[in-house]
Amino acid sequence: MMDANEREVYRAAIHGDRDAFEMIIHTHSRTVFAIAYGILQNREEAEDAVQDALIKAWKSRWRVRDPEKFPAWLCMIARHRARDVFRKRRTSPLSDEITEQLEAEAIDTTSVDRQLHSALAALPEIHRSALMLRYFEKMDYRTIENTLGLTNGALRGILGRALAAMRKQLRPALASFEQP
Amino acid sequence: MTIHDDIDNYLAADLHNELSEQEARALHTHLIECAACRKVHQENKIMNKVLEEKLAREKPDSAFEERMLAGFRNRIPQRTASIAKLIVDLMRLRSAQIAAVAALLLALVQVGRVITGEGKALSRDREYVALGQPAARPAQTSLPSVNEVGALSKSESRAKEADRLTAGKPFARSQVAAASAADQVETENKKLEPAEVERGIATQSNIPTAEEAGPNLAESPASPLANRKLVRNAQVEIEIANFDEAVQNITAFANEERGYVATTSSEKQANGKLKGEIVVKVLPETLDRFLQKIRGLGELKNQTLSTEDVTKAYFDTDARLKNARVMEQRLIDMLKTKTGKVSDLLQVEKELGRVREGIEKMQGELKYWDSRVQFATVTIALAEKDLEEPATFLVKERAQLALYAPDVDKVYNDIKDLASQKVQITNAQLDRDYSGRVSGRVGMLIAPEESDAVMGRVKGFGRVENFQRQTERIAQGGSGMSENARTKRDKVELNVTISREEQEQAFQQTSLQIRASSVDEKAKQLHALTEKQNGRVRGSSFSRDPNGGEFASVSLRVAMKNYPALMQSLNSLGKVENVSVQRQDRTGAEIDEANAPADISIQIYSQGNIVSSETGLMATLRHTLAQGATALMWSLRMIGVALAFLAPWAIAILAIAWIAKRIVQARRKL
Repeated sequence: MMDANEREVYRAAIHGDRDAFEMIIHTHSRTVFAIAYGILQNREEAEDAVQDALIKAWKSRWRVRDPEKFPAWLCMIARHRARDVFRKRRTSPLSDEITEQLEAEAIDTTSVDRQLHSALAALPEIHRSALMLRYFEKMDYRTIENTLGLTNGALRGILGRALAAMRKQLRPALASFEQP
Repeated sequence: MTIHDDIDNYLAADLHNELSEQEARALHTHLIECAACRKVHQENKIMNKVLEEKLAREKPDSAFEERMLAGFRNRIPQRTASIAKLIVDLMRLRSAQIAAVAALLLALVQVGRVITGEGKALSRDREYVALGQPAARPAQTSLPSVNEVGALSKSESRAKEADRLTAGKPFARSQVAAASAADQVETENKKLEPAEVERGIATQSNIPTAEEAGPNLAESPASPLANRKLVRNAQVEIEIANFDEAVQNITAFANEERGYVATTSSEKQANGKLKGEIVVKVLPETLDRFLQKIRGLGELKNQTLSTEDVTKAYFDTDARLKNARVMEQRLIDMLKTKTGKVSDLLQVEKELGRVREGIEKMQGELKYWDSRVQFATVTIALAEKDLEEPATFLVKERAQLALYAPDVDKVYNDIKDLASQKVQITNAQLDRDYSGRVSGRVGMLIAPEESDAVMGRVKGFGRVENFQRQTERIAQGGSGMSENARTKRDKVELNVTISREEQEQAFQQTSLQIRASSVDEKAKQLHALTEKQNGRVRGSSFSRDPNGGEFASVSLRVAMKNYPALMQSLNSLGKVENVSVQRQDRTGAEIDEANAPADISIQIYSQGNIVSSETGLMATLRHTLAQGATALMWSLRMIGVALAFLAPWAIAILAIAWIAKRIVQARRKL
């Protein structure tokens, strides 16, 4: 269960304590970033989404009744925000520009990198978020489960399937990567 | 599940160091054994590395948190401690929301109370408290209260003043009140007297008026109320035992009080009692004493005292009189000098005549007023006791008779033939309606001495159903009781209604059932029995059921005297059951009971051959099923009612929830 101290910080933030909220930004923004990145696969966009999510969380903090649920709620806001951005990216008239930019990025990197990117993109969202939390933040399974609101022990299966799916897709590229 | 089947999960967990010691050992054992899994393990390791490398590049840099914080601080500037903001923040707390809703409801209730006007004063009190100006209220309320008291006392004093001036006993009261101001009054009187003497008119009338003005003078000594010309009048209504004696007494009283009887009038009533009016003139100062004396004569019914102020008119006329005198003198002087033309002198003469005429008129007016002021007028209306006692009583008798006869026309004509000098037919009417029913009405006036004989004869024409007599004593020339009045009998008014026997309501109604085997035959026997007892069959019917049961119903009418014999003979027909008798006793009417009609309705029936279908196993089953179905239908109906109650609310709540959800979703998207 949650530490009483931590809980007090959340409670203070809900009641409008700026310092407490800034402290939460410090401790949680990376987690939130990982989730946003898992959806968007783009650092700049993910950062913007995190920023927006934080602002929105501050503005509507009074909606949270239970301080313990604050982190999960923050992640949810970020997820919604990221999805919105993702949707807009696909429908916006600027999509060409972005895809070009993406392609330019892809050209810069190795083919393995590009394939890795597309393999990641092919994964379900929750798998990606789990991977990001693991690889960015080196979180243990239990914490990831709590953050994403998963049941105990479900993460092992998720990460297993995610890695297996990627492995299958990347097998040729990996083979070439192994030789040199 | 074996490790081999679940190798993906195991390998992933192994990479991330999330395997328990036991699991890790088992995995390693398996990897040694299984080549395929080993290969997968290798691939996984490489991919993990690639992934780590790739994601390490994507990982946010160390300044990430600072950037986030800076962005946050930029976009949400430090809160300025404004009250609006504080309220907004406060409103986000649930307790504050509840309090706000409660306050809103309370406010609504208060608004409702104000609008409906209920408990207005209460709400005003609350407003004062809410404004925190408790001091404002006493000041505001005390102000009007002072005014009110002032107005009250003012009006009271005004009323007292009016009282003193117009009615009441100003004389007696003013004497007491004026005692203190006696000196002043006296001096006033002295001043007044020369003026009055100069005019050559009796001045005694001034004494009471001056005294009356006493209290007013005491209040404002400068006012000229002492010169008032007041005309006092009194109206008294007295009931006395003897008129002449009363008149004598009043005359004596008037003389005692230096007054006189002005007029007397009297009138004799039909019952020998007298009533009349006496007008007495007395001096105003003795008026109250005089009234007091009069009271002793009999019962005082009514008394009115009035005072009329003629001061203004009096002095106006007086002034005009003086002017006219001056004018007269001047004209006389003109005539004395005799200068000018003859025609002018004639003109002056004419004018002088006109002026003198005016002077005389005004003098007369002043005299008239003086006489009215000098003497108070008391109008006494006298009436002897029991003035209203009637002289005679007239006894009026009215009778109503309802007859039933077999032949209406004949009876109608018979009654009409009774007409003679002592019996007058006032109206006669024979009605025949579309269904052939005949009824007649005859109204007659009978001389009192003949009335009993005539009524006896009319009663003999048919069966008396209803006979009512009313006697009325009418007082003539007055009302109420009288011991001496004569009593006279007036003509008797008789109204006869004739109807056919058929229409008569039965005096007694009987219904019974007879169980017999051959119904049709018994019905015929019943007809014969009825004939024998002089009865009449009014209706009969016969029916047969599909299951063999036979019914005959017979209704008949028989005279009451034959009723017991008929009932007895019914026993010969079969078993008599369910006898019910209903009898209407008509009160307050003379009824020929022996000949009154009795109705009997008889049902003769035979039992069917089949066992009643209302018993037995099937019937019970059928009943049960039918009742079950009824209960089911009833419960369905109840469910319907419940739905009708709940459905609108449920729909409304769902709609609100849906809208709320949509709003939340819409806000999320923003």
